[in-house]
Amino acid sequence: MSYIEVNDLRKTFVVRKKRARASLFRDKERVEALRGLSFQVGRGELIGYIGPNGAGKSTTIKILSGILTPESGSVLIDGRTPWADRREHVRHIGVVFGQRTQLWWDVPIIDSFSLLRDIYRLPEAAWKRRLDELTDALQLGSLLRTPLRLLSLGQRMKAELCGSLLHEPELLFLDEPSIGLDSVSKLALRQFLQWENRERGTTVMLTTHDMEDIAALCPRVMVLGHGSKLFDGALTDLLSRYDTSRTVTVRFSGKYDLDGLPAGLDVSREGENVIIAYSLRSLPTPVLLERLQRAGEIREMTIQPQNIDHMIADMYREMAL
Amino acid sequence: MNTVKLYIRSMGMLLKCQMQYPASFLMQTLAQLIMEGGEMLALVLIIDRFGHLGSWQPGDLYFFFGMMSVTFYLTECFGRGVTGTFPSLVRSGQLDTMLARPRAVLTQVLCSDIDPRRIVCIAVGVTALCIGSRLSAVRWTFAKALLLCEAVAMGVVLILGLFLIEAIFCIYSVKSVELVNALTYGGRSACAYPVNIYPRPLRTLFTVIAPFALTLQLPAAYILDKPLFSWPAWTAFLSPLSGAAAFGVIYALFQKALRHYRSTGS
Repeated sequence: MSYIEVNDLRKTFVVRKKRARASLFRDKERVEALRGLSFQVGRGELIGYIGPNGAGKSTTIKILSGILTPESGSVLIDGRTPWADRREHVRHIGVVFGQRTQLWWDVPIIDSFSLLRDIYRLPEAAWKRRLDELTDALQLGSLLRTPLRLLSLGQRMKAELCGSLLHEPELLFLDEPSIGLDSVSKLALRQFLQWENRERGTTVMLTTHDMEDIAALCPRVMVLGHGSKLFDGALTDLLSRYDTSRTVTVRFSGKYDLDGLPAGLDVSREGENVIIAYSLRSLPTPVLLERLQRAGEIREMTIQPQNIDHMIADMYREMAL
Repeated sequence: MNTVKLYIRSMGMLLKCQMQYPASFLMQTLAQLIMEGGEMLALVLIIDRFGHLGSWQPGDLYFFFGMMSVTFYLTECFGRGVTGTFPSLVRSGQLDTMLARPRAVLTQVLCSDIDPRRIVCIAVGVTALCIGSRLSAVRWTFAKALLLCEAVAMGVVLILGLFLIEAIFCIYSVKSVELVNALTYGGRSACAYPVNIYPRPLRTLFTVIAPFALTLQLPAAYILDKPLFSWPAWTAFLSPLSGAAAFGVIYALFQKALRHYRSTGS
């Protein structure tokens, strides 16, 4: 049996809608957040969880971390049902929400960490050793005496990570951890998650809209749409299906004539550069190159793959999300 | 690390936070003093005008008032997480965080806030108790002192429970808490006076539904050596336990409500 076993998970929210006219009664609408979701995760996996807003990603995370109770279906994490054995379960997991803090706003972060030691009933020595380890890895040492509210967003995320890992959880959930972070902080976050996963074998499950996060971190990716699983596998496999177009930028020396190019291409000019976007389905790259060489003397040329975000957008569109 | 220690440490941290703004703290404390002082002034004026309410003499009335003030504001001071902050915990998603930690939610809610400004209200209550005790020439015994402590403790538990009803409404995202306010704040105002001065429906409300009469007033009457109801004297020692009973029922409902918690968007 896998470390995490999710079977036919369903969750429906009843949303009360206001009627147009003032009325005592309100219309109720049932929103199916999860419609029979099933998957397994092995111990030590680093898994990315993507999907458009409202697909049910956060709902899944909240059920798996014992915050929400599903309507039906089963979840077993290391033999525990999160919502039924909540207090025993959450001792073994860490949760980070990218959009809100779990630490105390006005006090130095070291005070927050001390309080977490008390909340999780950690032995002083173990807590201290782990704190040193984490502050080293996250380069938090110089910030421990600073109140959370004075930290930058990147520093705050580091503090959140530290706080959620002090009790050495086997499983870490991250809900949009990279939201709003600058490039340096994003890189630091990725490096740290890889380190934690490698060094301690922590299972990590993260939701994100940042495909770079997925590409850099997650060997396995799961796509959710309208509460159902649409894809589960390697990111490269997912992308190969949607990686269908290229952009070539050419600079000619001297005169050139593009009349010989196949019809229906998206051609634009930027200064000396000619930019051509084409679909691999209708035009193989070698054919285009051959035509370009006939069009004039090429001085410089680059071929760019499709932007990963565009691919995902194409995918969402195709899956009608 | 036990729960009490965690609570004390949390309170220490919260106090440290609040004391970062001393001027604001002093002003707000002063405002509290004026407010609760005003309540007591109303009592002083009533006593000055009427002298007594039924069989209750001025000292008795001060004593009842003091019992309620001390109990209610102890709750608001140390139970602020339940009496004041809970809706914002739900709205801000902090309840999610609490559910993701290996402690009872109620423990964490209680650890999330404290209102030290209420100290002055408690002081006013203690003053009223002393005045009442002096005017009514209470003959203190060890049993009476013990009963006073029991009554106040059970009163605190009862008031916490009543505010928990609001928390339950809040989890089910029901906005109308006025009904519950009738029990909490209404109970505080009404039961600062002995309930037997009220007509039967109100008396029943505060004896059976929100049993302030049982937790606070029966013991107060015993200490004053006057009957509130025509019940045997020993009932005064048992009746405060109704506060714990009410709390138990409401707490079970609260736990059930958490199962229906829907969280907020990410």
